[in-house]
Amino acid sequence: MVGLSIGEKHFIQGGIAQDIRTDGRKRLTYRPISVETGVIPQANGSARVRMGATDVIASVKAELGKPTPLQPDKGKVAIYVDCSPVAAPMFERRGGEELATELSVALQKCLLGGKSGAGAGIDLSSLMVIEGKICWDLYIDCLVISSDGNLLDTLGAAIKAALSNTGVPKVHVAMGPSGDEQPEVDISDEEFLQFDTTGVPVIVTLTKIGRHYIVDATSEEESQMSSAVSISVNRHGHICGLTKRGGSGLDPSVILDMVSVAKHVSEQLINKLDSEIAAAEAYEVES
Amino acid sequence: MEFVSPEGLRLDGRRPMEMRQIRAEIGVVAKADGSASFEMGNTKVIAAVYGPREVPNRSQQISDQALVRCEYSMANFSTGDRMRKPKGDRRSMEISLVIRQTMEACILTHLMPRSQIDIFVQVLQADGGTRSACINAATLALADAGIPMCDLITSCSAGYLNSTPLLDLNYVEDSAGGPDVTVGILSKSDKVTLLQMDSKLPMDIFENVMQLAIEGCKAVANYIREILLENTKQLEYRRGT
Repeated sequence: MVGLSIGEKHFIQGGIAQDIRTDGRKRLTYRPISVETGVIPQANGSARVRMGATDVIASVKAELGKPTPLQPDKGKVAIYVDCSPVAAPMFERRGGEELATELSVALQKCLLGGKSGAGAGIDLSSLMVIEGKICWDLYIDCLVISSDGNLLDTLGAAIKAALSNTGVPKVHVAMGPSGDEQPEVDISDEEFLQFDTTGVPVIVTLTKIGRHYIVDATSEEESQMSSAVSISVNRHGHICGLTKRGGSGLDPSVILDMVSVAKHVSEQLINKLDSEIAAAEAYEVES
Repeated sequence: MEFVSPEGLRLDGRRPMEMRQIRAEIGVVAKADGSASFEMGNTKVIAAVYGPREVPNRSQQISDQALVRCEYSMANFSTGDRMRKPKGDRRSMEISLVIRQTMEACILTHLMPRSQIDIFVQVLQADGGTRSACINAATLALADAGIPMCDLITSCSAGYLNSTPLLDLNYVEDSAGGPDVTVGILSKSDKVTLLQMDSKLPMDIFENVMQLAIEGCKAVANYIREILLENTKQLEYRRGT
């Protein structure tokens, strides 16, 4: 996929060792991030996030459904990622499925918590309508349009922005004559509840190249990695999820160090994202 | 249902011979050799071209011309109801074939033997006329990639509802069950390379509707030429000449 000569490989590794990457960034600097919200008008919420040349769109659709018997007081969220062949020729037909599945699972782990629904970054109890009978199902669909490394962070940011943009319609419930009957629901076209995203975490991926870690790797830098750890951190500095990729083994002390570096970087990322999302929403309201 | 009001206005306020607003942008996918986005009203598509490059599957390469491949995919969120299986369904395969055959007609494939040109089209929002938007986007992307073509291919659709020929149908008008004629032309030589129609239409009315679609194609071609000229000026400016 990425063909690099030996000279280029040495250049990348040497530069990272000296804290100067090929595009001039420092090891812990993100590329310029741009956020646009409301790009898909027929969805309940949507956003398009660009980190350098990586470009993804996330859309949130809300449909009424039945809660699972195990968690009758919570709504359901499904995350689905699709790699468009537009991003790379190898994604044509079913070529992008493996990467897409890996990204979907990683996102679910980071944002949705465990099987019991505990510890989810997204507040599922706010999606309740009638306990045990009716709840909102959120379908988060992501599309990768251009891939230049660091897909997971960009997808996490896009989902956060799309959720900030999401309005769940207000539902008026009329109880049927007998308690067992399906109650009638009237979905309001006018009133919307803005989704609460203060608890939604961001994902920070640290890529280890040589003896140092970098943040926001381009696809050339990713081809030189020995391993990568993706950590999702929320506003309060709590770790919401952790995934390690790559075959090389890591000393436990290195992982702990990476976690603390990620927490430090996540503060700046959360602030940057929040200001970009606010600016995008303001721009959307104006136009 | 009334699609054309007595005053002559359609459901979205357009006149029967009026196209939707078109917007195009070149170079939206940085990693592709050529790319473009094309919007016709609420229909938004992105096309990316990779090539000419080596054919990965040696058995498929053609010794005297380039191999042109195309894939059409729709995003999950592109239609009103969320799509379950966005790839590989029969409609997508048919449209991929149609786009490939249409673009192959204008690419000078004999100049690039034993190589492969991939055209990928991704629909972000579908509101009728996706086929036409895809072909227009593909033309721009091929031009952005610098692939030699004999002409610009543009496409537009037209229909016939409430006894009126209508140009550039949107989704509601398309699903009305009336005829839907999609035309693709080579803009300079005025030759028709793509012609598809659903439903049925008397011959004399068909001529009118097809002519209307061809007029629409020419309008798109003028817009595309402007965009390409503007893009070339930008490139010249950046080179410092």
